[in-house]
Amino acid sequence: MKRSIILFVLAALVLIATGYWFFSSSTKFSLMDIASFGVIFLVLVFAVVLGFKRLGSAKRGEPAEDELSKKVMQKTAALSYYISIYLWLFIMYIQDKVNLETHSIIGIGILGMAVIFTVSWLVIHFIGIKNE
Amino acid sequence: MNNRIKEFRARYNLTQEDLAKKVNVRRETIVFLEKNKYNPSLKLAHDIARVFESKIEEIFLFD
Repeated sequence: MKRSIILFVLAALVLIATGYWFFSSSTKFSLMDIASFGVIFLVLVFAVVLGFKRLGSAKRGEPAEDELSKKVMQKTAALSYYISIYLWLFIMYIQDKVNLETHSIIGIGILGMAVIFTVSWLVIHFIGIKNE
Repeated sequence: MNNRIKEFRARYNLTQEDLAKKVNVRRETIVFLEKNKYNPSLKLAHDIARVFESKIEEIFLFD
């Protein structure tokens, strides 16, 4: 229950920060900015879905986390870390070839890692864990 | 590894939610077990067997 609330608070903070960025910006948004909003929104939806799943379990009197959810998270973390190394390798390779500022490249990397984590979680959740 | 959780659950007239509460896991874990998408820990297998008053090998079938 406590962790679900923390998850919701974090999601709300990210939403407020993104909303502030969106509404306070006087310049016109580039395609890259719009893509960033899309990715942030997707990751937020993922966090909210996770939060609701945990709250639902707590409401039914079940533990918010059990051995399966912990294993899914562990496997997701391991897989997404492994794939993220290749993402950063790719970013290092293309950084000289594209005309982007350092903070933009780091931002792309961080958002990319968030997307990789979300996709890894969905894939592992879909195929399950057989431990064989 | 296959299992007969669904069959035993029907025999004992338990819903997935009831079984989940009895073995202290989330309902989703029971769903994954019944679909053979997850192999339980020894403790969970033992707890499930105890709920169904059976041996582990009667519920979980090793190929």
